[in-house]
Amino acid sequence: MKETFEFTPAIKKALFWMMGAGLIGLLFVFLMYPENKHARFWSNITLNVYYFTGIGLFGLFVVAATQLAYGGWQTLMKRIFLSLSAFAAIGGFLLLGILLLGFGHVHSLYDHVMHILHEGAGNPKFTTKLIYFAPAFWIGRLVAYALLWFGFSKVMNNFFARTDQTDPKVYKRSKLLAAAFIVVFALTESAVSWDMIMSMDPHWYSTLFGWYNFASYGCAAWAMTILIVIFLKSQGYLEKVNENHVHDLGKMLFGFSIFWTYLWFDQFMLQWYANIPEDTNFWVKRFDVGYFKFTVFLSLLINFVFPLLVLIKRGAKRNFRLIGFGAALLIFGHYVDFFNYTFFEPNNNEQATHHGSEHAAVKSTEEVVLYADASHGGEHGTTDATAAKHETTAGHSADAHAAGGHHAEEAPKNFAAIGLGELLIFIGFLGVFLYMFFNNLAKRPIVPENDPYLKESEKLTVIYS
Amino acid sequence: MSNEPNKVVIGLWDHEEVYLHAVEHIRAKGIEIYESLTPFPVHGLEDALGYRETRLHTAGFFFGATGTTLALSFMTWVMTTNYPIDFGGKPYWPLPSFIPITFEMTVLFAAWGMTLTYLVRNRLWPGRVPRIYDVRTTDDRFALVFDAEKYPADKLNEIKELCKKEGAVEIKDKEFSGKDEL
Repeated sequence: MKETFEFTPAIKKALFWMMGAGLIGLLFVFLMYPENKHARFWSNITLNVYYFTGIGLFGLFVVAATQLAYGGWQTLMKRIFLSLSAFAAIGGFLLLGILLLGFGHVHSLYDHVMHILHEGAGNPKFTTKLIYFAPAFWIGRLVAYALLWFGFSKVMNNFFARTDQTDPKVYKRSKLLAAAFIVVFALTESAVSWDMIMSMDPHWYSTLFGWYNFASYGCAAWAMTILIVIFLKSQGYLEKVNENHVHDLGKMLFGFSIFWTYLWFDQFMLQWYANIPEDTNFWVKRFDVGYFKFTVFLSLLINFVFPLLVLIKRGAKRNFRLIGFGAALLIFGHYVDFFNYTFFEPNNNEQATHHGSEHAAVKSTEEVVLYADASHGGEHGTTDATAAKHETTAGHSADAHAAGGHHAEEAPKNFAAIGLGELLIFIGFLGVFLYMFFNNLAKRPIVPENDPYLKESEKLTVIYS
Repeated sequence: MSNEPNKVVIGLWDHEEVYLHAVEHIRAKGIEIYESLTPFPVHGLEDALGYRETRLHTAGFFFGATGTTLALSFMTWVMTTNYPIDFGGKPYWPLPSFIPITFEMTVLFAAWGMTLTYLVRNRLWPGRVPRIYDVRTTDDRFALVFDAEKYPADKLNEIKELCKKEGAVEIKDKEFSGKDEL
């Protein structure tokens, strides 16, 4: 039985190939799509950094949550969850860098907020936004997340490597550490989703966006763990991990998929039903462009219908091939999900409105209202809001009857897509993520020999129920 | 399970570990265990008894699917054919607003269907007096029940000997009159 993971040159080589592919992808996208200050390039970077940081943080969350809940089944895989956070330790700094570049006008992902900061002063509509997105506060928050994530990743990795964990005093302190991380995680993961993702379209609100992101990269983190467990087993490690553990991981994956769907649908249905232009605008921008409509429903198809129909069976969760395939598919599915939120064009279909270009079309009336300058009078705004409501309604009934396309000829030029470049960049970031993961995993024995719950994990059986 | 044997042999154990090994050894001899009764869930007993995975959840899936279909088709019929009303400018077939009700109906059908299936399969309909092999199985005894009608007398003696060898504290014959009774 091999006890410590050996980061062999062969694995390193494969990961370097992946990173090389990522670099080619970055170069390709940077050169081929210079529109909007290389928006496609920067969207890709933001999406991948955010996604993999989320997966890493979720690993720490699993450790903290199971530690608090007296969980025992996961102990054999505890170091895998802890090592997932290796990327999250630097992810916060990368996000901070992206934001600073946004302030430096290197890219235009956060131009809506920049616009509000620049011209919104004195407009009562933006009072709270001006406070929340005040540069010092915004950057300060990102600094805080980066430091907290880095600190907790290091502290928790070191703490759970201690040899005296069965000592009641140390065990008690592990609970304190776990509880502290839960609080930090809950606050930072919600806030970072507003800071980095929701702020790309700051006129749109979703009050459950933090949860939603949590569920989304939560699924990806479980899926990643399943794939890594299967990989490590194929290499002869983790001898004591068997299909019972994978079954439990699969149950979590299935459960989180349903949880994600619940949040997806809540978010969608409430905004569809309330029909407030600010909210529906978000969906109109996606549903009016065939490609984004396709990706929105593709993510729903992969992340909900597939687990519901395939992963629901006990046999599917215990079959390494099937669950491995499902896990890989779900990692892609949640990538598509974040694609819908982070990419430049769906958020900026109306970009032309306040950049003064006549050519790129103003698609519907609500954009004029939403992105109006302070000079618009109150009465004028009201009239437009009413018009926007009609427009939105028309758009929705049109797509409900599958008779859309009345916008087709005036649709703006759109550069966002999941193409070869995106896949290469994703593979590249996956390579970086896995490199840091394996690097961290190789530092200590895979199985935490001193954990008081080790035996419980070794004896895990999932009975028929 | 529809035909319960009227003549049974019951072996009683007083320790979980011994009982679990006894189950394994008895089954290894090719003797069929009719029923197993324990005061609390014994870890690994399902595997030792060789139980198949229950099909109840598969039934549950189909009950749920029935609920989904029924809810969706009924609401579709009402909103598009029977009594179409324009609610706040929404389409006549407002699918998103159907989903919460569809979900509730799915859960309702799955829950009721599975509960009733479970009760019927375990012969627990109203008015039934359950057959009790030994009252102490809810207290401190682990029982194995063998179908005495199935085996000849010498085989039964062999089973009894085997039970004794495997640590049974008590072995007894029991006969029921054929009706449900205590």
